[in-house]
Amino acid sequence: MLLYIAPVFLPLIGAAIAGLFGRLIGARASQVVSCLAMGIAAILAVIVFDRVAIGGEVQQVYLFQWISSGGFEVDWAFRYDALTAVMVFVVSIVSFLIHVYSIGYMAHDPHIPRFFAYLSLFTFFMLALITADNLLQLYFGWEGVGLLSYLLIGFWYKRPAANSADIKAYVVNRVGDFGFGLGILAIFLTVGSISYDAVFSAAPDLAGRSFEFLGGQFDILNVVCILLFVGAMGKSAQFLLHTWLPDAMEGPTPVSALIHAATMVTAGVFMVARMSPLFEYAPVALAVVTVIGAITAIFAALIAITQTDIKRVIAYSTMSQLGYMFFACGVSAYSAAIFHLATHAFFKALLFMGAGAVIHAMSDEQDMRRMGGLWKLIPVTYGLMWVGSLALAGIPFFSGFFSKDIILESAFAAHTGLGQFAFWAGIAAAALTALYSWRLIILTFHGKSRADEQVLAHVHEAPPVMTIPNVLLAIGAIGAGYLLLPLVAADGAFWGDAIFVLPGHEALEAAHHVDFWVKALPTIVAVLGIGAAYLAYMAWPALPGAIAARLRPLYLLSLNKGYVDELYDFVFVRPAMYLGRGLWKQGDGAVIDGVGPDGLAAAALVLARRAVRLQSGYLYHYAFAMLIGLAAIVTWYLLART
Amino acid sequence: MTAPSSLLLEYLPILIFLGIAVAVAGLAVGGSIFVAPQKPDPKKNAAFECGFDAFEDSRGRFDVRFYLVAILFIIFDLEVAYLFPWAISFSGIGLYGFWSMMVFLGILTIGFVYEWKKGALEWE
Amino acid sequence: MTELANPNYLAALPEMFLAAAAAVLLMIGVFVGNRSTTALTLLSALAMAAAFIMVLVAPDERATAFGGLFVTDTFSTFMKCLVLIGASVTLIMGLGYVKREGMARFEFPVLILFASVGMLMMISANDLIALYIGLELQSLSLYILAAFRRDAVRSSEAGLKYFVLGALSSGFLLYGCSMVYGFTGATNFEAIAAAVASGGEAGAAGPIGILIGLVFIAVALAFKISAVPFHMWTPDVYEGAPTPVTAFFAAAPKIAAMALLLRVFLGPFQELVEQWEQIILFVSIASMALGALAAIGQTNIKRLMAYSSIGHVGYALVGLAAGTPEGVRGVIIYLTIYMVMSLGAFSCILAMRQKGQMVEQISDLAGLSKTNPLMAFSFAVFMFSMAGIPPLAGFFGKLYVFLAAIDAGLYGLAIVGVLTSVVGAFYYIRIVKLMYFDEPAAPLDRPIGVELSVVLAGTGIVTVLFFAYPTPVLIGAQAAAASLFP
Repeated sequence: MLLYIAPVFLPLIGAAIAGLFGRLIGARASQVVSCLAMGIAAILAVIVFDRVAIGGEVQQVYLFQWISSGGFEVDWAFRYDALTAVMVFVVSIVSFLIHVYSIGYMAHDPHIPRFFAYLSLFTFFMLALITADNLLQLYFGWEGVGLLSYLLIGFWYKRPAANSADIKAYVVNRVGDFGFGLGILAIFLTVGSISYDAVFSAAPDLAGRSFEFLGGQFDILNVVCILLFVGAMGKSAQFLLHTWLPDAMEGPTPVSALIHAATMVTAGVFMVARMSPLFEYAPVALAVVTVIGAITAIFAALIAITQTDIKRVIAYSTMSQLGYMFFACGVSAYSAAIFHLATHAFFKALLFMGAGAVIHAMSDEQDMRRMGGLWKLIPVTYGLMWVGSLALAGIPFFSGFFSKDIILESAFAAHTGLGQFAFWAGIAAAALTALYSWRLIILTFHGKSRADEQVLAHVHEAPPVMTIPNVLLAIGAIGAGYLLLPLVAADGAFWGDAIFVLPGHEALEAAHHVDFWVKALPTIVAVLGIGAAYLAYMAWPALPGAIAARLRPLYLLSLNKGYVDELYDFVFVRPAMYLGRGLWKQGDGAVIDGVGPDGLAAAALVLARRAVRLQSGYLYHYAFAMLIGLAAIVTWYLLART
Repeated sequence: MTAPSSLLLEYLPILIFLGIAVAVAGLAVGGSIFVAPQKPDPKKNAAFECGFDAFEDSRGRFDVRFYLVAILFIIFDLEVAYLFPWAISFSGIGLYGFWSMMVFLGILTIGFVYEWKKGALEWE
Repeated sequence: MTELANPNYLAALPEMFLAAAAAVLLMIGVFVGNRSTTALTLLSALAMAAAFIMVLVAPDERATAFGGLFVTDTFSTFMKCLVLIGASVTLIMGLGYVKREGMARFEFPVLILFASVGMLMMISANDLIALYIGLELQSLSLYILAAFRRDAVRSSEAGLKYFVLGALSSGFLLYGCSMVYGFTGATNFEAIAAAVASGGEAGAAGPIGILIGLVFIAVALAFKISAVPFHMWTPDVYEGAPTPVTAFFAAAPKIAAMALLLRVFLGPFQELVEQWEQIILFVSIASMALGALAAIGQTNIKRLMAYSSIGHVGYALVGLAAGTPEGVRGVIIYLTIYMVMSLGAFSCILAMRQKGQMVEQISDLAGLSKTNPLMAFSFAVFMFSMAGIPPLAGFFGKLYVFLAAIDAGLYGLAIVGVLTSVVGAFYYIRIVKLMYFDEPAAPLDRPIGVELSVVLAGTGIVTVLFFAYPTPVLIGAQAAAASLFP
């Protein structure tokens, strides 16, 4: 029992101690306490993984009844199956490593206890999300990580950019969460329960049934799943709701690594996998997932090529990889998605933390155009970045190779039009991934340094407390592929009942039997991408500029992130601002205040002035008023009687 | 006689009295015109009112003591007038009526003592 | 004559005692001179206390005296207690002022005593004649009191205005009385009630004649309680009269006149409730509205209190408009609380002195919280209470009348009442703002004096803690209201 509860609540305890007593016990103690709690949680997570995922002990841990209102009953319970175990394993370990890394990275920050409290609290919510046994608990974790994401993006709240970034993240996520909430409500409406078991067992019966809304007939499960997916789009920064993620890089780099690469943004993927018993019966929703995922994969990769901020490049890369995961889900290869999620957590965290080490070394410089030639100065980081990039690009023997290949093969093996679309989009994105990854490495570490002397003089390797977690992550980035390979075994035995795949949707199994060229193509394009990067940024540095000049519209489109922000600004933000301003100035100010408080007050003043003027001070006026009053009343009665 | 004139008949003495009064007044005024010597002067021709000229600036000053005396006189005059009906009906109202008037007179006396002690009755 | 033979003096003992005491004190005063003022003031208060005890120990059941001219019942007991408390407290409260401001003449306490006798008679009047006598005794004393500082122009002006307009209203009253007498053939309240019930003596012409008479009487009484549009004297008289007199005006005569109004409307004219209800509705709404609005523009605190009292009368009339025992109970509770609040407020106003000079401008209160926090706090309590902020006493006063109005279906009246109390809250709270948030003006003199402190503390405690133990007032008001509905 305790084994299953402790991993979730240890981070909460750590957060409480660091957050509530941080001032009392000091920065050092806060770090120690939260790292210790996280470390124990990570160890327990390994044990849990061993028992549940390897040993096949599926657990449901009931804690207490949470809500009981009429027919609405929600328990607080944990569900430990293979899916949960994998997620807990990944989240705890990555979170622990990032906690340790943060000791070094945040060493000079004045608000260390607050940072660690947030970080631990985030981990608690993430684990609560993963271990949830019903949709409300999932939603609890979902909103919790959203909140902590908001708090951590705006951690340096004195920076205006950080503030606007965290507001943007929150608002965009609200859009997604609204859909997610509607989805949960729709499930309760149709199933009458939100516990997983009840919902999943009801799913086959609901398949194909429809409900009426605004005069139209809608398929229940398709609607529900699309609504849920809208939530996932927000949380996982999929195309259309992705705009917050690059801006979220305003937060401290460990935050980017933990929340915006390894864990929170993958919650959407996890949720879709978790809801596989529903999605499997919702073909339209699956199609939407596939398309959105594929578009995101290629769209984000295209943007990443032209970005100059080192963290933004990695952020777009994250988006792109999330796109892979989603289209894997879309072709029912959920386990491939989770596999990629796990390997991606390691190598993307590694990349971020490597980038963090670079930024740290460059005195908080993030623009790659002012870097270059660093490889001799910070060789360890350089090596780690190579490992991360190789894994990201899907070069054989690195973890990304296994997971990305299986996704692409699954997409191909789905033998549907959308599957083919996703496959080719994925191949193109793979080439671009290699291109922008090595562009990043070359611009940062090779060539002549473009930084000024003063900065260069201070460039130094990160302290061990930062490098050791990175090394461990690098080991994960290499080894996770081998360790977790059973996840995508053709028989799916690893998962038990955790992931449900409808007969006829066995893309994953088919993926093991595709032609060799399909298996080899991702690697080939990745190597081509690396070659292209070498040519463009090392051999002929003039080439990128020439291409950019030639294809200027496309270049600008990519540089400006597809103008999606501008589009939203024009379509949503400005009208909302005008509407808000209009309602404020005209509606609230002129109409409500004008007629209401202000108007009444003004009217009262005018009337008061008149009333005072009545009081002339002349005796005969007073007597006259009395007489008029008397006459009026008498007249009233005389008239009323006739 | 019909009914309405019986009502009028009750007022006949008043009519007669009115006639006598008019006659006596006419006789007196007419007699003085014929009998008395007529030597008019401004003072004699002026209308008489409390020692003032009848027609003068209404904002003119005058001694407030005139009014004090007049008001005090009127109060006591009116209240003493209550004694007449009381005296006439005395046989019918008995001891209660008697003591009621005594209390009234007592209160009147207190007022009188007050105005006397305050010096309201002294001209200077 | 048999009625006269059984006068039942005992029922009128408090009034007779007070009248005798006033006569004796007058004699003492006139023989000893003005140096006896302090002693006479204390003796007057003592006499009122004695009368208070007499009122309390008198048997509770209804009794008439002087052949039905005079009546005592639970209602009269309750209202007389209120009046006597109000009168005696203002007498003591004003003592310091009277001495300082050179109006320490022995007539002052005696006049208040006579006015009190008049008020007690008004409350107990059971006949148009008794009503008139009581009212005039009270009014004549008040005219003199208003002009008591005869060397001050404003005071003389106040007295003269009050006198002339009061005489006009007395004229209305007498005219109304004579109409009622003419059409019912009776002056006794029970006889009038019987005549009204049977349609009057003069057949078809009766009711309208009675009604016109009733309107005249109502107008005269509305003048006495300063209800709009017969309120015009109030601000000028409140402002011009010496402050202790103003305090007295606010505390006692208003209650007596209100009691008389209740007795007249619910006694002889109970049958005409649907008729007079219209007058009350109109007068009530007009009073609430004017009281709330006109007070906003005031700069003089006494003038402000005048408008405030006009507004309060409007609220009290809401209960009468309901015409039910609950409504009357609401009126009685309202008057009780109002008296306590205005005694408190006026004790603050009496304490407004700067370097020995009385000041009356609202702006003189600026920053009082810094110079005299305790007084500022109690003043704030009274202002909040008058504005009707829970849980202070004033809130409950309004609550009961509005509840009664809603029970009687007078939703419009209740809504107007609530709206005007919102407007009215503005000027009450403005004073609080002035005292607490504005820069201090010249500080007010300290100490404020023992008697003022005691009154301030007592009324303040009652205002604040009323909600904790309202039972005595509620039960008393309940019984008093019930005795008006036989």
